[in-house]
Amino acid sequence: MKGLSKKKSIATALFAGLIGTTALSGVVVAGENGHGPVKMIKVDAKKAALGKRLFFDKKLSGDSAISCASCHQPDKAFTDGLALSKAYPGSKGFRNTPTLMNTAVRENWFHDGRLGTNLNDVTREMITEDYIMNMDMRLMQERIKQDPVYVKMFKDAGYGEPSNGSVRKAIPEYLKTLTSRNAPFDAGKMSDAAKRGYGLFNGKAGCASCHSGENFTNYKAYNLGVPENPEIWSDPMRNMTYVAFGMFMGIENIMNIRRDVGAHIHRHKADGSEIGTFITPTLRELKHTGPYMHNGMFKSLFEVVSFYNQGGGEDKNKSSSIKPLGLSFGEQQDLVAFLESLSGDVLNTADHVWKDKIPDNYATIENWRNVKN
Amino acid sequence: MKHTKKISALLAGVFIGATAISVAQAEMKVPPLAPLGDPPIPLDNKQSEAKIKLGKMLFWDPRLGGDASTACVTCHEPDQGWGFADAFSRGYPGTVHWRNSQTVINSAYMAKLFWAGSASSLEKQAKSAATGAVAGNGESDVMEARLAFIPEYRKLFKEVFGTEWPLISDAWKAIASFERTLIVKDTPVDKYLAGDKKALTKQQVRGMELFNGKANCIACHNGELASDQKYYNLGVPRPERWEEDGLAQVTFRYEQYAKGVTQEMYRKIKDDPGFYYRSKEKSDMGKFRTAPLRYTKFTAPYMHNGAFWDLKEVVEFYNAGGGQNDFTDGTMAKNKTPLLKPLGLSEKEVGDLVAFLEGFSGEELRVEAPKLPAYAPLPNPATN
Repeated sequence: MKGLSKKKSIATALFAGLIGTTALSGVVVAGENGHGPVKMIKVDAKKAALGKRLFFDKKLSGDSAISCASCHQPDKAFTDGLALSKAYPGSKGFRNTPTLMNTAVRENWFHDGRLGTNLNDVTREMITEDYIMNMDMRLMQERIKQDPVYVKMFKDAGYGEPSNGSVRKAIPEYLKTLTSRNAPFDAGKMSDAAKRGYGLFNGKAGCASCHSGENFTNYKAYNLGVPENPEIWSDPMRNMTYVAFGMFMGIENIMNIRRDVGAHIHRHKADGSEIGTFITPTLRELKHTGPYMHNGMFKSLFEVVSFYNQGGGEDKNKSSSIKPLGLSFGEQQDLVAFLESLSGDVLNTADHVWKDKIPDNYATIENWRNVKN
Repeated sequence: MKHTKKISALLAGVFIGATAISVAQAEMKVPPLAPLGDPPIPLDNKQSEAKIKLGKMLFWDPRLGGDASTACVTCHEPDQGWGFADAFSRGYPGTVHWRNSQTVINSAYMAKLFWAGSASSLEKQAKSAATGAVAGNGESDVMEARLAFIPEYRKLFKEVFGTEWPLISDAWKAIASFERTLIVKDTPVDKYLAGDKKALTKQQVRGMELFNGKANCIACHNGELASDQKYYNLGVPRPERWEEDGLAQVTFRYEQYAKGVTQEMYRKIKDDPGFYYRSKEKSDMGKFRTAPLRYTKFTAPYMHNGAFWDLKEVVEFYNAGGGQNDFTDGTMAKNKTPLLKPLGLSEKEVGDLVAFLEGFSGEELRVEAPKLPAYAPLPNPATN
């Protein structure tokens, strides 16, 4: 991961210069600003298959009510189609479920970028977080050990006995298989409108200054002035989930805050200038992943493009790079056409979905007295 | 612990060749049964009407649990003796517990809570039960945040504890205060011991004489609680459920993992070693705290694992000199208390003893379930 990050930051530094050039030349060439297909990642098939089963298994949550796939649904490019995610029973989410497509090439994770290490940590965070899956991993390990299918799969995958550590390796191995494929942009099959849109993207609209690289994000946090989602504050169950998160992360004055502080939650910059900043999202698979933005405030891509065209929203911390773009209606449509060309196949076949039934009860270990625990 | 061991050793000595139990009793200085007084109230959590009212609501409130489905009352049901009428407690959704749910009645008198005494106060017991993965599975931040969104709780917490926003640690205090009101005294046994000789039937009086004499229950079930609050291995048999039910097998292993035993122990252990988890001494394997005998008419099944379904079974178990388990037969240890010997009670005497035990229970304590207040959005932010 570290090597990858370094390469990307060098690339990012070069973009600023490139944007101007592109705008002047007006020539559309696929592959500018680091854009290009996300490379398939070689995986260990047995480990990935195990991770796939774990991903779809509800026994990985505290009360066995939800699996990873409850919010990360294959048909929706591993999102849930909701403005705000559902969360663990008894809580309600305060952010939009991000796609897991290409998640393995990311530099950081979550809308606020609070984890910047690896998917092993992300997996642990999601399984144990009280408002997400609320699982005591010690209990999870013993649940898994009770399932003969898992016992065999862990062994065959080379992990030996089922353990928490191996779960945190197997799920990321599966996530590595969620790579975008056959997007018109990658396949060189863009419509004329999409091609015009790509020109605007790199030029007049300036999107590429942040939406760079193979995954169309620079993994940095910005404040665009996206309006707050009022439901977070009007629905006590959403607000209380945010409060619990804020208390844990150490956000001052959490009971009086009526806004999502975003990346401030882990940076804690003293002047508060990063309040309301969120990590640039990937633009891949947008056709399947609406509503958009960290709080699901925009239902369509046209709404998103219009929002940028007007120069974003209102916020004292708003990024200075967000300015009115002066795009015509047609230009905005072209941009949407381009964005749609970044969506590829929905990975909903058995290659990426565990289709067999996973038992929701536990087989009895026979001769229990005489076998080792 | 040293204290316990010394007494056990002493007891063992006294019993070898003992003929006159009353002499033994006098020598051991075991406190006699006595009428139950008022429960101790900790100085740092005094009772108040408002606190008790709040604690009662919280006791019933499932939002003090992981998925807002499991309240204290879920496993401590008033119509099941303020416990749970199955061998193992219900457990959090997707789990089953692994020990019997104990009655809350008169828990205020206990110095330590849980079967192996792992919690040193009702306040700590409440937190431990609400957060344990096979009990409440709640997390403090989430539970505290939920309380803040219930206007009536904000008002009550402020009134009782003086805080602007409810604190989860105060919730445990309020629950403990409520539990300190769940007292059943003035039972027939209490009245008899206080001088009302008509409070017990003739059969019950015969049972009491056996209790203090031939059956020697008083050796451990003594004082006003009828418990010395010490730990013994009686050889209570291992629950068969662990051999028959995958869900129970999951919890069994989880407990070994969560409580922290050696890898070797984790692999081979097949029964609950009780007090061992606290001391990590092999000599403590299989020991559980002497159960108080009050309110037992309503709290079946009995023992730490719910092995016995009525009091007669319990008495017959003692009459046989206790039983055997992995911690008595040498599989893991040989810790059976030397206090247990076959008692040679006749069928009639067993009946007398059961009748006396029932005299400890008095009237069933029922209370009306509180109405739980709803969530609401927060008021407008404070401005300053």
